[in-house]
Amino acid sequence: MDLSRRRFLQTAVLTAAAAGVTTACGGGSGKSGSKDSKDLKFWYWAGGLSDKVVADSKKHFSDVKLKTSVIGGDFKTKLLTGMKTAQTAPDITGIKGEDIASFLPNANRFLDLNSLGMDKLAPEYLSWKLKQATTQDGKVIGFPIDIGPCAVYYREDIFDQAGLPTDPAKVSAQLSTWDAYFDAGVELHKKVPKSFLINNIGAVFSMAVGQGTQRFIDEDNKFIGDQDHIRTAWTTAVKPYTLDIDAKINDNTWNAAISKGTVATGLGAAWYALDIQNAAPGTKGKWRVASLPSGPSNLGGSFLCLPATCANPELAFEVVKWILSPENQARGFADAALFPTSPAAYKLPELTGGDAFFGGQKTIDIFGPAAEKIPAAYEAPADAAVSAPYYSELTAIEAKGKDPEAAWKDAVSQAKQIAQRQGVK
Amino acid sequence: MNSLNRKRFRGLSVHVILMICVVISVFPFYWIIVMATNTSQDIYSYPPKLWLGDNLLTNIDHLFDKMDFFGSLLNTVIVAVCTTLLVLFFDSLAAFAFAKYEFPAKKFLFGLLLAMYILPTQLAIIPQYEIMVQLGWLGTLKALIVPAAANAFGIFWMRQYTSTGVPDELLDAARIEGAGFFRLYWHVVLPCVRPALAFLGIYTFIAAWNDYILPLVMLVNPEELTLQVALAQLYAGHSTDYSMVMAGVLLAVIPLMLMFTFFARGFIADATKGALR
Amino acid sequence: MSSSPVAGPVPTGPSSGSANGPSGQPAPDRHRGPGRSGRRVRPVPAHRPPAGSRRGPRRWIARYGTQYLAISPYYLIFSVFMLFPMLYTVYLAFQKWDGIGEMKFVGLDQFRFLWDDPVFWLSLRNTLVIWVLSTVPMLFMALVMAVLINSTRRLTAFYRVALFIPSITSLVAIAIFFGAIFSNNFGLINAVLKAMHLSAVPWLSNEWTIKLVIATLMTWQWTGYNAIIYLAGLQAIPSELYEAARMDGAGPTRMFFSITIPLLRPIILFTVVISTVTGLQSFTEPQVLFGSDASTNPNSGGPGRAGLTTLLYFYNQAFDYNDFGYAAAIVWAFFLLILLIVVINWRLVQGKERRP
Repeated sequence: MDLSRRRFLQTAVLTAAAAGVTTACGGGSGKSGSKDSKDLKFWYWAGGLSDKVVADSKKHFSDVKLKTSVIGGDFKTKLLTGMKTAQTAPDITGIKGEDIASFLPNANRFLDLNSLGMDKLAPEYLSWKLKQATTQDGKVIGFPIDIGPCAVYYREDIFDQAGLPTDPAKVSAQLSTWDAYFDAGVELHKKVPKSFLINNIGAVFSMAVGQGTQRFIDEDNKFIGDQDHIRTAWTTAVKPYTLDIDAKINDNTWNAAISKGTVATGLGAAWYALDIQNAAPGTKGKWRVASLPSGPSNLGGSFLCLPATCANPELAFEVVKWILSPENQARGFADAALFPTSPAAYKLPELTGGDAFFGGQKTIDIFGPAAEKIPAAYEAPADAAVSAPYYSELTAIEAKGKDPEAAWKDAVSQAKQIAQRQGVK
Repeated sequence: MNSLNRKRFRGLSVHVILMICVVISVFPFYWIIVMATNTSQDIYSYPPKLWLGDNLLTNIDHLFDKMDFFGSLLNTVIVAVCTTLLVLFFDSLAAFAFAKYEFPAKKFLFGLLLAMYILPTQLAIIPQYEIMVQLGWLGTLKALIVPAAANAFGIFWMRQYTSTGVPDELLDAARIEGAGFFRLYWHVVLPCVRPALAFLGIYTFIAAWNDYILPLVMLVNPEELTLQVALAQLYAGHSTDYSMVMAGVLLAVIPLMLMFTFFARGFIADATKGALR
Repeated sequence: MSSSPVAGPVPTGPSSGSANGPSGQPAPDRHRGPGRSGRRVRPVPAHRPPAGSRRGPRRWIARYGTQYLAISPYYLIFSVFMLFPMLYTVYLAFQKWDGIGEMKFVGLDQFRFLWDDPVFWLSLRNTLVIWVLSTVPMLFMALVMAVLINSTRRLTAFYRVALFIPSITSLVAIAIFFGAIFSNNFGLINAVLKAMHLSAVPWLSNEWTIKLVIATLMTWQWTGYNAIIYLAGLQAIPSELYEAARMDGAGPTRMFFSITIPLLRPIILFTVVISTVTGLQSFTEPQVLFGSDASTNPNSGGPGRAGLTTLLYFYNQAFDYNDFGYAAAIVWAFFLLILLIVVINWRLVQGKERRP
């Protein structure tokens, strides 16, 4: 408990100095203000890009000091914080697919990639994906990293136990509609009581919404979340709950559930494969992929963007272009399950080969056709915020047995309220 | 005879109940160690393993792959030490003025100090965040240290101690020799209030070490994070690998626990004194 | 200025100021009145102190400058990082602002939204339920523990250290730990239930059990701390009082209610106020337990938003949705609520104290 004064003073001076040095190092790096710096700060999140490709990009651009940071926590929150000042802002950053729309109103905070040569590259990339990062006056703020064509991931062994077809083509054929998919789930749960069809009904809802050409807000900035297309998706989502084939998992125990076979199928985009592999490495070889019931849907798929404060736009764009070239996108698929945005990549061996995790299945047979047929829907900036109540109300049905009809009414009224707050008509 | 037995029985049952409370208090630490030394598969399995495993080093290995543990530790130490030293200095200085001097508006200023105590940090956090942006401190440890560099509680606590623990005769004697305010503070007050400083120091250190919301809002890059934020991110991002996360929790909790058990007795005595005043 | 007053004494105005004297709290006289004793040692002892009259500003600075300089760091930091931001938060509550673009004055719109926002009311309900579920058992058990420790002479130092430890443990670490043991699919608690042939409880999915888990966490963390504080209060009660009561034939229960509780009242008031202020501000617990990487996490606060506390809702609106104006309205409304509850608490306990 003794604290001598001299000690006190010494430590005070020392630590103050240490703090000064560290903060100076932290804040002082980079930004000289000129537009030809060779130091580029590059932000993405774990799994957002292939780490191998990123590592290679540092070798490929050996004269550039590429400082990559894998940002944890909530990426959008961190990015908005970082972009507050030029000194903390990245020069290249990822933006998640579900967030890109909310950045469009502030497109002036990003460089227009068309002015850097994106317009010439555009035909090589999926146009509907590019459209998500395009403002109404034609600026492109994001270079598409990947898309999220959706599919049914299923446990072949559990399907076999339940007497269901196991071959991907046959499964796709039999589970061609949501109702057929749920019927199979009832069958499965009867034969294998510990397994459920889906982990939660929110997943079904997001797939079903994504199958339509309209979402929660239309192009005239009008709220349409109370209309038939959403109502139908809602009804579809509630069905597995009433059929008792819903595992009702809404927390991080999904990992354990997926390892233990509590859920026999998963609805997810192409990148979902990586989640399964990470969560349940022990189930290797037992999973297969089949087409999504009732048509293709897209979930997520991210972009690389250059904030307006970028220290060297031309160079940064070159780096992005290289990282997202068709060849490197194919490697990204093999390495991180990022489904390419460049159709040229679909013919490369990384995609056409079989995947051992899926028992050697060539998953491109499922994802490829789905990617081409994804309906293009307008996604308003406030879309994510407005859609939130639907998901939380669906969870409320699962968590406390809330009456689905009451939940629907609450979801719509909350969504309307948020829409109003966000300035939607 | 009978009543003696009953008395004994009562004494024993008191200890039994208290021991149960102690077990509940420290059980989490034991269980954290169990989880950190086994594999995630062991944690998922039923029945769970109740005893230590031998997987700790592997878990720590994985942990160091996923997070820059020592970087975060260093950041946390810098924040906690700087905050503590600044708080000790500023608070004891202000407390000296409040305890031993009269000046206009003293009552009002001191009252303000007490009233501020129930204000939640969140009430100010949005503008604070904007201020840090303006100062260019966002994403630096300064954003955590400076706002916490002096606090109402510390001044209050030090004033209580200074007014009783520093004899006026001593001050008068030094004054006759011509010592001014700051020399009095340095040569007379500081030596006298050391025990109170020790308590305030530990208290501030623990609070700074465990702080979560301010670093959550102010820090961005992985290399800037403090342990608490880094841990929370690790948990959100990799809850697949529970044993790895638990190894992180274990390593993050150990330093503070060691420090606390070292200082515990005096600290608790002072802590309760504070409440009693 | 830490988010949660971790460990240690947090003497707020109420318990430390006027409440000091009346009911048997043996506050030593030397602790009182620094001002009075301070008058003896003025910096310029030769003069009488007719505070700040007739002299010019230079004189004034010469006399008081140092003192003001000494207390200035706190008031400077306080003004820049607390007072100004608080007032600015009021201003923000009348704006619509996404943090990047222009601010737009919207009058009382944010408060109107707040009034109609079912999620805000849900978050208030959650906060209050969690607070009651944690504070009541916490303080009750703390009192029992303190009485038990006070009744014995052996091992008291050990008990004090062991019971104090939870209060200094990092909340993030503890939240992660609770998330693990209450996990629906593999947690220790469910394993124990299973061993006793009971069915597993989906702790982190159900509306009530989520609140229970968070409340348990808070109870675990703060019961020992409060017990130690009560213990100090108990030890300050002169044993003659008990002996006298025993002579009059009072049983232990009677003594507890007619001696212990009344004499402990100021301390109980202190713990109630502190538990109220910290308990209502729960944020880290649900944030860590149910945190997720999705930027628009629709299930913030867990399934059914059952663990969404008001401060977590505030954080979501401010830093996830960047609706800063609305967040400002939420936090101010919430602060007024805390103030109200503290005043009610204080009145209740103080009012009883005045009874003969």
